[in-house]
Amino acid sequence: MVNALFIIIIGLGTAFLLGLLGNTRRNIAYVFMLFALTAMAWIAHSWLWIFTIDAHSRVDMFTAGTAPPFAINLRVGIVETVLVLLVIMSGLLSAVYMKDALLRLGYKSMSVLLVFVMALCGIILTRDVFNLFVFFELAVIATAGLLLLSDDKRALAAGFKYLIISQLVSMFLLLGIIFAYHATGTLNIDGMAEQSPEMLKGIGSLAFFFMFMAILTEAKPFPANGWALDIYESAHPGFSAMFSAGMAGAASVYAVDKLLLIGGQEWLPVVTVIGLLSFVAANLLALVQTNDRRTLGYSSIGQVGLILAVMGQQDILGEHYLFIAGGILLSHAVAKAGLYWISGLIQKRQLTDWSVLRGQPLLIFAFVSFIGMLSGLPPFPSFYAKWDLVMMLASVDRLWILGFILLGSLLEASYLFRWFGYILKRDIIKEDAQHLSLASYKLIVIFIAVVIAWGLAYLWGELSSYNNLLLAIPILFALSFLLLDFLPTWIKNTLAIAGMVAYFFIAYPSYNPLELIYAIIFLLGGAVILLASYYEKGRRVGFYPSAMLMFAGLTLLVMAENSFQFFAAWEFLTIGSYFLILRGKYSEPHALLYLIFSLAGAYLILSGFALAAQGMIPFSLESLSQVAQPIAPWVFLLLAIGFMTKTAVIGLHIWLPGAHAEAETDVSPMVSGILLKAGLFGLMILLMNMGKQQLYGVELTYIMLWLGALSAFLGNLMAVFQEDAKRLLAYSSIGQMGYALFGLALMNQLGWLMALMFVINHYIYKSMLFLSVGGVAKRTGTRQMYQMGGLIAMMPLSFIAVLIGIIAVSGVPPLSGFGGRWIFYNAIMASEYRLPMMLIFISGPIAFLYLFRLIHTIFLGQLKDEHRKIKEAPFWIILPQMIYVTALLAFAVVPGMALHRVDNYLNPFFAGQGLNWDGWTITSNYGYWSPVPIMIVIAVIFATLFMWLLFVNRKAQKVKQFNIVYSAERPYRPETTHFAWNFFAPYRKAMGFLIQPFVTRFWETFADLLHTLADIVRRFYTGNGQTYAVQLLAFIIVIYLFKVGY
Amino acid sequence: MQFEWIQIPYALLNLFIIINFGLLMNAFVAKIGARVGRRHGIPIYQNYLDLIKNYGLRSSITHGVMFYLGPVFRLSGGVGLLLFVPTIYGSDMFSNFSFSGDLILALYFIFFGTLGMALGAAESGHPHAAMGVSRGLSQVTMAELPLALAVFSIALQYQTLSVTEIVAAQQGGFLNWTLFTNPLAVAAAMLSFLGSVMRPPFDVVLAPQEIPIGPPTEYHSSYLALMQTNRVIYPIAKMVIFMSLFFGGATSWPVFFLKIFLIYMFAVFIGVVFPRFRVEQSIRWFLIWAVPLGILSVLLV
Repeated sequence: MVNALFIIIIGLGTAFLLGLLGNTRRNIAYVFMLFALTAMAWIAHSWLWIFTIDAHSRVDMFTAGTAPPFAINLRVGIVETVLVLLVIMSGLLSAVYMKDALLRLGYKSMSVLLVFVMALCGIILTRDVFNLFVFFELAVIATAGLLLLSDDKRALAAGFKYLIISQLVSMFLLLGIIFAYHATGTLNIDGMAEQSPEMLKGIGSLAFFFMFMAILTEAKPFPANGWALDIYESAHPGFSAMFSAGMAGAASVYAVDKLLLIGGQEWLPVVTVIGLLSFVAANLLALVQTNDRRTLGYSSIGQVGLILAVMGQQDILGEHYLFIAGGILLSHAVAKAGLYWISGLIQKRQLTDWSVLRGQPLLIFAFVSFIGMLSGLPPFPSFYAKWDLVMMLASVDRLWILGFILLGSLLEASYLFRWFGYILKRDIIKEDAQHLSLASYKLIVIFIAVVIAWGLAYLWGELSSYNNLLLAIPILFALSFLLLDFLPTWIKNTLAIAGMVAYFFIAYPSYNPLELIYAIIFLLGGAVILLASYYEKGRRVGFYPSAMLMFAGLTLLVMAENSFQFFAAWEFLTIGSYFLILRGKYSEPHALLYLIFSLAGAYLILSGFALAAQGMIPFSLESLSQVAQPIAPWVFLLLAIGFMTKTAVIGLHIWLPGAHAEAETDVSPMVSGILLKAGLFGLMILLMNMGKQQLYGVELTYIMLWLGALSAFLGNLMAVFQEDAKRLLAYSSIGQMGYALFGLALMNQLGWLMALMFVINHYIYKSMLFLSVGGVAKRTGTRQMYQMGGLIAMMPLSFIAVLIGIIAVSGVPPLSGFGGRWIFYNAIMASEYRLPMMLIFISGPIAFLYLFRLIHTIFLGQLKDEHRKIKEAPFWIILPQMIYVTALLAFAVVPGMALHRVDNYLNPFFAGQGLNWDGWTITSNYGYWSPVPIMIVIAVIFATLFMWLLFVNRKAQKVKQFNIVYSAERPYRPETTHFAWNFFAPYRKAMGFLIQPFVTRFWETFADLLHTLADIVRRFYTGNGQTYAVQLLAFIIVIYLFKVGY
Repeated sequence: MQFEWIQIPYALLNLFIIINFGLLMNAFVAKIGARVGRRHGIPIYQNYLDLIKNYGLRSSITHGVMFYLGPVFRLSGGVGLLLFVPTIYGSDMFSNFSFSGDLILALYFIFFGTLGMALGAAESGHPHAAMGVSRGLSQVTMAELPLALAVFSIALQYQTLSVTEIVAAQQGGFLNWTLFTNPLAVAAAMLSFLGSVMRPPFDVVLAPQEIPIGPPTEYHSSYLALMQTNRVIYPIAKMVIFMSLFFGGATSWPVFFLKIFLIYMFAVFIGVVFPRFRVEQSIRWFLIWAVPLGILSVLLV
């Protein structure tokens, strides 16, 4: 095994030797420096082999041939190896990345860089406090030197501020070391740790306090970190990458960890609190940042805070500690370095200026990988780490820590994904795009980080106690589209459809009847919608990976057996659908809103599972039924709210209309017809396993009943007043999901059947309607219904689809919507609750209003002049609609085909209050329903009367719509004759008061408050070095008062 | 109950009786209305003449497929509604096709004709038609609500959704009628009834003086004839439901004629006394007066 001293020797030695070359041979110096860094990396790499494959235990290396305390020892174990490797690799890659700047400043800068890397390695390796101090000093001085690499004038000032702070820090550290030496008679950390109980009394405790605060300050805790932000903002991005990954991420954090050996249990809570505070506050403040590098700085501080908080949980994490802390730390380091490197490609410093990346799919992929990693999304290490962390925290009731961590994570994801939205959607200024510096060596550095990111994702999957997510076939299938993205759309579309259908038939035997219904909708249903995608020409970059990721998530969701699989699937489908929604032309804010709500919901689900599991790993979904009181209702509450976020229950619905309406033509049916069902699936799993729960004497399913009814009522009511066809359909979905939720919350078998009826029907008719309306919008170039009209003759097939669709939605016999209503009436007869039904009664007829408006204002009424030559919607958009028409008719005649088996399957859960399926007639305890005779009777009557009319009216002459007399005059123009805008004006007068946007205002105010708070706190960082110094002192004093002084 | 072919002629006979009764009753009611206004009124056979004349007219135009189908939808709705509910209790002859479905089928089938008619009228392109539909739909959403609540209430009361069984439960003396066993529900339903017969004060949908007859504006000749036929059948079909649910049903034709006439007269009386409401007024009226009754009836049953 190579001695650790060589790392220091190579670093320091080369740094001195470079001086011999002078500034005339910069190129050679540069090569030497790279060579030195590579050699150092090779050493660390050789250790990695020894500690992982050979599973060696850690090794102490003595510098002067004797053991401590008489000499300094360096320790190498798996942790040190990984961290050292991280530091050196970030140094090496940044050195490549900063080639221009290094060559410009000459050999001195290269020496300083080597010293910096060497010092960080030293901090990680040494076990001696004084040595630690020395390495820190080296790192500080090197930092100040490396800041000069930046073109930004403010870097100089930032360096000075850092030096001021460092003076204070050094003072504390030295004082601490002196006192500690006095108290323990050793400078060795492990030696001090052995004496820690005695040392932490009297003067020794102050000594420790000084040392600890000094080291902790290097980890930039909130609020004593203004100087760090100024560094991040003004330094060369290559250096910021090293600084964030190596200095803050690896070295300082590990130094804190070492000191905690001395501090012991007693100091863990301090680290926890400071870490959490930094994590939440930094992410909150980042919300109002507009400068990219400063934003990354905040994120960096937040991530280090999170690691500190994890460090404070050492006492409960046990053997998982390294897995969790390592997962978060490495994710942070790789992602942050990667993002800083990308920022170096871009000329301007506003977040919105990143839109210049839009033409670069590979860079966008890199960006997505990095922010996914930071946000703790699967399949990255931080996801596994956060999952384990949350499970452990919940099992020992550290719920407030859990809460703050999830809050901070949500804030972080919010601004990171907002940024992503800027990249894809904001205007590109042409000259900026030309200034994008795409030097190949920089790109290589970035893509090495991407490869490392995915490699770590794989590694953490292997290390985790669950299945490796990257090996799940649906996920692999989805990711493979990343590689196939160069192919034309029709090939990818065919592959996607074939894959989904094939997977369905392979997995078919493993589904139970309930799962089967969802699997059919998710996989086969998805394939039908994808038929419409054949219409799109070109390559459609990014569509298929996103869509397939969503479908992979949905597929895995149905198959999930334990809470981890379920949650991972949930996250996958959330991310996939977010990318899909974001593709819409104007969907930037809506997609973001969707993501924030979805992630918040997901975190609630995560906490619910964690609370339920109580440390049980793996926690199967069936075990939900064994969750004991008093926590059972809380678990229920968390999971239910999480799932209801996805079904857009009223109050949590504001993301839905924009997201569904602004999405692309074939995406709207996917996210509406299919994705919403994921929430219902979750609710079914929850209710089936946990049943009714009471919290403070209130039955939670009863509240759900009210929420379902309110959603049905208000969703329908809001749909009535929309002018935009797709928004109308989107609001209608809120109502429809309300019905389904209501059915489930009835907690009887008929209620569940009704919900399933809605699941199937809503998939069919909402997908169909979104496609029809999308097709019409494609042809007319508008979604405003009043600008259309009279299109029936031009687009008869679209009209038929909408006609069948609205008959089915409204529940008028003979189509399948009636079945849902019939089951509904039977279900409420069996229920003990009556008040919430009233709202459902009201909402039923309201549906007629918006449905009529949809068909009338688009297809009937007056045809506009500019639409007289319009064509039917494209074939590929019509085809799935016709399939749906057939399906609706079939489902209307033989609903038993889908429902009979589910009914039997549900029997054991509800003591057999189901339906009797007797030939054509379906009977319940209260009534009966025969779909086939209904269909026949109506058809015969209709046909007879039609024949009769044809007979008496055989000479009817066809005239155009405009051939009418209106108020005894010929009307002026079709535009003024089409009665369409504000169609239900009288209804608005009567009922409009009910749709005041209270919920939207509530959330807007909430977001406003967050931003205002962030903006106020942000002013704390004045940019003045003296202020920063005072803040640091105050911070130390406050901590002292709390922890030591009283 | 199962389908037998003999039911088809029975159903046609039923239809024939109802049409004639309806034509006469409508004329009679028109005459009453005229007399209240100190006018002479139409002859009692006038509706026959109108119907024959309209079916016989040969000059006709069409605005398109939905326009053409609108009256067919409308009349199918009326006939279907009649035939899905047993007309005479205890009579196999006049039980119609009620084996297809229960009360819920009837309640939702009401909308079949309304929706089809609205679509047809909308294709005429006439703004008055669209305005009429807008008004009609707005009003009906609230007017139907008390009825739905009342139906729910009595379904709970009798623990069944079958019309036949509900009528059966009311036999044996008029005190067994829902009118006396569940007066709140009946009150709510009868108020709702006012909103669905297109008579004042809830006839703003047709509003002859502002939007000349609303939805049917562009309809003429045989289209209009179909709709007139429906105007005859549909209210009776609906009143059959009211009669069966609330007033003990009918065991014979004379009882049937009497009860239907009296139920209709309720709306007529109110219609000749009160002036017309605007749509938002009628919505509020139903919301304030009829809906609470319905809610109470559901809660108290």
